[in-house]
Amino acid sequence: MNHSRLSAALVAMACLMLIGCQEPSSDAVPQGFAGLGEDAAAFAQADASTPLRFPEDHGPHPDYRIEWWYLTANLEDDQGEPLGLQWTLFRQALTPPDERPAPSPWAADQVWMAHLGISQGETHAAAERFARSHSEHANGQAGVKAAPFQAWIDDWSLESPSEANFEDFTLQAYSGEGADRFGYTLTLSAQGPLVWHGENGFNAKTVEGQGSRYYSQPFLSITGRVTLNGETREVSGKGWLDREWSSQLLSQQQTGWDWFSLHLEDGRKLMAYRLRGGGPAGGDYLFAHLLAADGQTELIGPGSVTLTPLATHSVAGRDIPTRWSLTLPDVNLQLTVEARHPNRWMPTSVPYWEGDVVVRQAATQENIGVGYLEMTGY
Amino acid sequence: MILRVLATLLAHYRRHPGQLAMLLLGLWVASALWSSVQAVNATAKDSYARANALFSANVDELTRRDGQPLTREDYLTLRRAGLPISPMLEGTLQIDGERLTIVGIDPLTLPSDNTLGGSGDALTAFLTPPWQTQLAPETLDVWGLSRQQAPGATPAVNKNQRLPPLALRPALPPDTLVMDIAAAAALLDRDNTLSQLVTAPGALSQPPDGYRLSRAATLASPEQLTESFHLNLTALALLSLVVGLFIVQAALGLAMEQRLTTLRTLRALGVPAVTLVTAILLELLVFGVLGSALGLASGIWLAGQLLPDVATTLSSLYQADVNQSLVLPWHYWVGSLAITFGGLLLAGSGVLWRAARLNVLALGQSQAWRLAYQRQLKRMTLGAAAVAVLAMGLALWLGRLPPGQGVLASFGFVAALLLASALCLPPLINGVLHLLQRWLRRHPLAHWAVADIQLQLPRLSLAMMALLIALATNLGVSSMVGGFRLTFLDWLDQRLAAPLYINASPSTLAPMLDWLDARPDVAETLPTARGSVDLLAMDDAQQQGARERIALFGITPNPTITNGWPLLETAAGRPAAWASLSANSVFINEQMAVAKQLAPGDEVTLDTPQGTRPFEITAVYPDYGNPRQQILVPTKVLIQRFGGEIASIGLVVDENADRQALRQALADRFDVAPEAMVDQQEIKQLATQIFERTFTITRALNGLTLGVAALALLATLLAQARERQRQLASLWALGVPRKTLTLLPLFQLGGLALFTGVVAIPLGIAITWTLVAIINVAAFGWRLPLYLFPWDMLITLATALGVALAAAALPSLQLWRTSPQAMLNQGAT
Repeated sequence: MNHSRLSAALVAMACLMLIGCQEPSSDAVPQGFAGLGEDAAAFAQADASTPLRFPEDHGPHPDYRIEWWYLTANLEDDQGEPLGLQWTLFRQALTPPDERPAPSPWAADQVWMAHLGISQGETHAAAERFARSHSEHANGQAGVKAAPFQAWIDDWSLESPSEANFEDFTLQAYSGEGADRFGYTLTLSAQGPLVWHGENGFNAKTVEGQGSRYYSQPFLSITGRVTLNGETREVSGKGWLDREWSSQLLSQQQTGWDWFSLHLEDGRKLMAYRLRGGGPAGGDYLFAHLLAADGQTELIGPGSVTLTPLATHSVAGRDIPTRWSLTLPDVNLQLTVEARHPNRWMPTSVPYWEGDVVVRQAATQENIGVGYLEMTGY
Repeated sequence: MILRVLATLLAHYRRHPGQLAMLLLGLWVASALWSSVQAVNATAKDSYARANALFSANVDELTRRDGQPLTREDYLTLRRAGLPISPMLEGTLQIDGERLTIVGIDPLTLPSDNTLGGSGDALTAFLTPPWQTQLAPETLDVWGLSRQQAPGATPAVNKNQRLPPLALRPALPPDTLVMDIAAAAALLDRDNTLSQLVTAPGALSQPPDGYRLSRAATLASPEQLTESFHLNLTALALLSLVVGLFIVQAALGLAMEQRLTTLRTLRALGVPAVTLVTAILLELLVFGVLGSALGLASGIWLAGQLLPDVATTLSSLYQADVNQSLVLPWHYWVGSLAITFGGLLLAGSGVLWRAARLNVLALGQSQAWRLAYQRQLKRMTLGAAAVAVLAMGLALWLGRLPPGQGVLASFGFVAALLLASALCLPPLINGVLHLLQRWLRRHPLAHWAVADIQLQLPRLSLAMMALLIALATNLGVSSMVGGFRLTFLDWLDQRLAAPLYINASPSTLAPMLDWLDARPDVAETLPTARGSVDLLAMDDAQQQGARERIALFGITPNPTITNGWPLLETAAGRPAAWASLSANSVFINEQMAVAKQLAPGDEVTLDTPQGTRPFEITAVYPDYGNPRQQILVPTKVLIQRFGGEIASIGLVVDENADRQALRQALADRFDVAPEAMVDQQEIKQLATQIFERTFTITRALNGLTLGVAALALLATLLAQARERQRQLASLWALGVPRKTLTLLPLFQLGGLALFTGVVAIPLGIAITWTLVAIINVAAFGWRLPLYLFPWDMLITLATALGVALAAAALPSLQLWRTSPQAMLNQGAT
């Protein structure tokens, strides 16, 4: 009967709101941002014992609690106007490997979440998708395959052809209907090597040793079409793809991070972050990795960078630092990094700030690069 | 000083505890009935609100055009194509005779503001083994679990399976278990199939190829459907309240009458009128608190008794689930108290008015009263005329409304009709008494009796008005129910043409049909089918407008069925209608004819799997007990062309066939319980049972109202019994035998009540007509023929007489027992 079927749907809806409305448990112990500091002893632990292996490591690591495929891009449209975009696929394990439910059509041990963001000027469009999967089912609503590389959720996908695995990509993601539709169809091509952020691709995130497996492809050149505000435009520019997985990314004292991925005009790339808490003597944990234009490491390590907010802006009811001083004393680099526009808030289920930035010489305020900044836990 | 005055006033009740009892009884009855019905309504509203919380986030639904069930592959294909749909799995569980609905959802894709964030623990618990069963606390009754025991409990479903740990969610509707789709699939043993694919309203502008999109907004919510049912209850309760307040009014009036001397003395002693009025007001407040406390307590008890019947009615009539235990929000308590106090003040306003204008020197004079009453009668006549004009206006307006509308106006019409009749009753009685008086001039005692009843009329008139209202309503409602009963049973006989019926799932029934057809002992198989179709609204330019999902019902148009199948209207006679049904025409049920204002000869445009095309309506059929609109087509057409499913099989077996053997063979061959095959008689019995329960509450309230009216009359008579004794004493002194004196009031009152009963009969018929012709059409979508039951009318008259005699008997008995000495003393004081 129509009626009973309908009411079932409605019941479900109410239920969902209930799940959604459930308050976080008021545990005295902080859990880090988005639960990323939760104890995860039953999961596989990230360490530096073995080197990364490809193409396997392009694929998912379901024994680890969290993982992402994270693309950011600094582009220009055919009018020369700068445009930033983001596409991220997150994976989160629901259960440790030994507690997985038996495979069945709907049983799930993995939850997938994807974010799509496009920003230009004052405009900032964002969308979010969710899916479930079982790690023993290959073709679900969302998933990732290592070779040929394919990451997808619903109709959003990032794919490589088999002949240039993880070097050439196509990315397609759209959201909304009619005039509200936004999204992109892009071709990405690697112009440099993969970069490992630490010994064997292990990147420590606290002085206690928690950390993640972390590598990047920061040398992407991108062309394609972006649809925004009812218009579709040709775009081109630079992209940065991050790959990271871990079971305990943060320590329980760490409440958030400020993450920079910068393309300097001289061809160098800089990844730098500040984890708030969990550092030496209870301070912040800072890390930087400066790469030469050929991908060789010029500088790597904790403590090699200082990051100081210079100005904050009220965004979504929070004070967000939108101008930063970034210095690498060892290589005599003093930079000012500033958001192109403060309105880059991702109003997703886990909200955060993510947007395109310009990089300037601190002394002359001369533009020397572009990049992306992610700030969480504000 | 006020307190002392109050104490003096209250002292009266110490001498007359009976009056206090009567006052409280009136308040108690009035407030109990009102608050019980309001408790029932509040509980139902709460249940609807919960369902509506879900309804507010209405969903659109996708189904396959080829009629095949949806599967996970459909879901994945559509998701990968970018459609924002969510899978849902629904089924029922039978636990100790209770039917529980299991709803399996995928919280990750459900259209709403879903969040993974905050604490992911709740979501993880929901999504992963051992999963979670979310349910309303009321549902725990099925297992007899307390709220404390419930969280984490895993009640058994059957020998091998248990529910996932329970988690209480008060906002869910009762008897609904919500869980992750993976857990639901395991419990319902459904691997890959889905019940539905849903999406946020308007999220899809077009259905994808091969699918049909049904918009959610076109389905009425239970609140809309049941609105008139609750209005019905409220109207009956209001009636009881009014009648109950008559008692209060009578009791207060009596107390006032007897305290006039005290009041005058108090005023003479220097108590200001304001203080006096305030003291009386305080007295009323005290009674109000006592009465409404009593009333609320018993009202809630009564509601608890009525609720199961109401819940059955609502679920069988509207498929609306109502909580079986009471849920009373704060406004219920405030509302009930306010109504009781408001009613009390209204009933006491006369007393307050008299106390305020108390003439210190005046003496109680019946004749003076009588003159004042003549003026009052004139006002009543005028009032009755005014209200009658209002009733006529409403009737005219209702006549111009399209059928199926104007429930509130109809109740207004009934109320106006009742009020007008009640108001014109005393002038009418007065006129009749005048005539009688002239006619009885040569019979002194009878003449006196008539004059005496005229003298009593001011007091009695209110009680008689109450009696009239109660009698008329009683007659009206019982005729409606009786008429419905006849129509319904007749209809059942015609609809249930096959002697045997088999109910099972469509997948079992389809092969069963072939098997049955092949059996020699089966003379005829008459399968029915169910499905649904989108009805397209066409504008003047024949452009498609809104679409609405309408239920389809399929029958096998063999002579066995068509000979008896009831039809209300046809385009060209019954045979032509049946011939046309097999040739691409459709029948519609009365509900649809009323709601869409369609008649035989009109066309409906349906979106069939083969495309959109018009169908001619060739007949309208009655479809009692179905709250929804329905289109009828032959079973074959429904299955082959509308993607419907076989729903049941009617069976005609050879006369000497062994039914038991057939039953057993069926059970052995197809994995169905022997109970799957039901006798026609059993179905009729069940349907009749549901019908009876549906009207249990109506009957209960109806009876109670009449009881209250009887009490009002008794109260009034008791109130003036003492005064009457004084007058009768004079008669006795004049030589009238005591036996005659005792019987006299019985004749007086009996006559009065009989007259009221006679007036009540046409009024009752008018009410019946309004109920069957207007209110039922609006409330249920069907119109009933107007049946009149002479026997019921006789009973009405007898009831009136019985009530009056019973009420008069007590004072008469008192009179009989009073010693002549005491009687004379009465005359002296």
